[in-house]
Amino acid sequence: MQTSLHRRTPCRPRKLHLWYGLAALPLFAAQTAHAVPAYARQTGSACADCHAGSYGPALTPYGMRFKMGGYTDTDGQGTKIPAAIQLNGTRTVPAKGQSSNLLSEADIYLAGRVTDQVGGYVKVAIANNGQNKFNTQLTDMDLRYVAKDLKLGNQQALIGVSVNNNPGFDDPVDALPAAASNGPPTVSGTLLNPSSSNTLAHRVIGASLYALLDENWYGELGTYNSLPTSMQYNLGYSLSGDPGRLSDTVYARFAYMRDFKHQFVSAGLVGLTTERQLPRSGPSEHVTDVGYDVTYQYLGNRQNIIQFAYVNIMERRRYATTPFGSVPGLVALPNGVVHDQTATLTYTFKQSYGITISHMVSTGTHDIVRFVPYGEPDTSSNSFTVFWTPFGKDDSFTSIANLKLAAEWFRFNKFNGSSDNVFGAPPGSPAVTNAKDLNAFLLFASVAF
Amino acid sequence: MSQSVLGRLLRGSAVAGLLIGWMLASPMVRAGDASAGADVFKSECAECHSPKQGKNKKGPSLFGIVGRPAGSITDYNYSDALKQAHWTWTTDKLHDYLSRPAKQANPGTKMKYDGLDDAKQLEDLITYLGTLH
Repeated sequence: MQTSLHRRTPCRPRKLHLWYGLAALPLFAAQTAHAVPAYARQTGSACADCHAGSYGPALTPYGMRFKMGGYTDTDGQGTKIPAAIQLNGTRTVPAKGQSSNLLSEADIYLAGRVTDQVGGYVKVAIANNGQNKFNTQLTDMDLRYVAKDLKLGNQQALIGVSVNNNPGFDDPVDALPAAASNGPPTVSGTLLNPSSSNTLAHRVIGASLYALLDENWYGELGTYNSLPTSMQYNLGYSLSGDPGRLSDTVYARFAYMRDFKHQFVSAGLVGLTTERQLPRSGPSEHVTDVGYDVTYQYLGNRQNIIQFAYVNIMERRRYATTPFGSVPGLVALPNGVVHDQTATLTYTFKQSYGITISHMVSTGTHDIVRFVPYGEPDTSSNSFTVFWTPFGKDDSFTSIANLKLAAEWFRFNKFNGSSDNVFGAPPGSPAVTNAKDLNAFLLFASVAF
Repeated sequence: MSQSVLGRLLRGSAVAGLLIGWMLASPMVRAGDASAGADVFKSECAECHSPKQGKNKKGPSLFGIVGRPAGSITDYNYSDALKQAHWTWTTDKLHDYLSRPAKQANPGTKMKYDGLDDAKQLEDLITYLGTLH
């Protein structure tokens, strides 16, 4: 989901080969609902059964099983309309600049089961561009076919296929940036981070085969290709964010997860490799992401829930070109490495009141030509969110719809590798921007039904 | 052994016997703690079962489960295995069923449950289920 703050910073280089130096501000998870009331109506379950905070996105182990099962579970009481709506209002108070109140987004979800083996999740967002003009986008999509209750030797097995448009969104553990909607804001982020510039999210289409063995071992292998630019445009996306032409793309995921009922733990590895032409008529660069993640949940009797997730993704790049810098003799490096890391801790009381703290870091190889103005792509930021979700529990006024009120303070410690003058304004310039000037306080009100 | 000691033993045995008899005679009362059982229910059962009358989830409502014939909620789509199970959910049957994987207890069932191997929690849970009337 993009907000008015999910914008390009003013440091956009003019040359396309410097696209890695483009910066994007973060996704705001507080506004993102994955608790789709259509699923609650289909299953008879409450929102809180799948989401600790009754609204998402963080999944409980039960929610993970529902996702792996292809969104097909049902209460067996007839066909339900597989659709839901979410409305979001946002008040944004940036550290510098004008505050705004917006009906920021209306979402339509087509979500639910088709048969015992086929189900899906499709979200269409009608987003306010900040001037009360609305742009319709196909955001996340995850269509599944699942074969359940299989036996491989003596082991129980589930095997499925996911067709989706965002690598990592279909992950059951819900810790990877695409699934958690919580990747670090970056100057030069990884492909697996939807906050990165020219992200793959929503601009690609791919399929993966996944299997769950013995309820604990998860493996997935898939491939993606970028959508034609005309189709990206028709789906609501600007051409400047094209991820480029992809080839030989492989996505792999492996995780061990264990549900102890009162607690849940997981540890996983993820990888994505591709040859990319950006711009599409240019030469290819080789990009490989390799990452790991660990999660822990204390669920107890659901009165006090603690969820922790840490994700560390490293990206190795063999650049397509080595451009010259503005000063004679300066040449960009042929290779580079970046890291995106996110640690998130959430405490939820009575499945209704919660606080989430995230620490996000994106770092990379020093390259004075690619990363203007200081040659450092490093960013460091935190978010502090408090939320209240009064409904969506078995014993609340309604268990199949919900309201979420949230307040989020997003602060930057470092941007473009610096805390001060992050865009390198010349000495004496009145337009100096420090990292803290990018901070923002946000209020969200969301209703889903 | 003196007569007074023997008398005390006999009286104690009689009281204990009456107590045990009363507990066995009452199908709703187990030795567990219903309050603790409510917590067990939340962590073990509540995702798939509701304690509310008429509220089915992935599994049928457990309101009134103790004493109910298996497969008898009319608006829930049971597996064939449970439809053909001709038993009543007594506390003893629940104890047996919930103490092992559901696939063993009722081959062919839709229920995915590995069983509860903590005896105290199982007693508490069944005691709680007995209060759902």
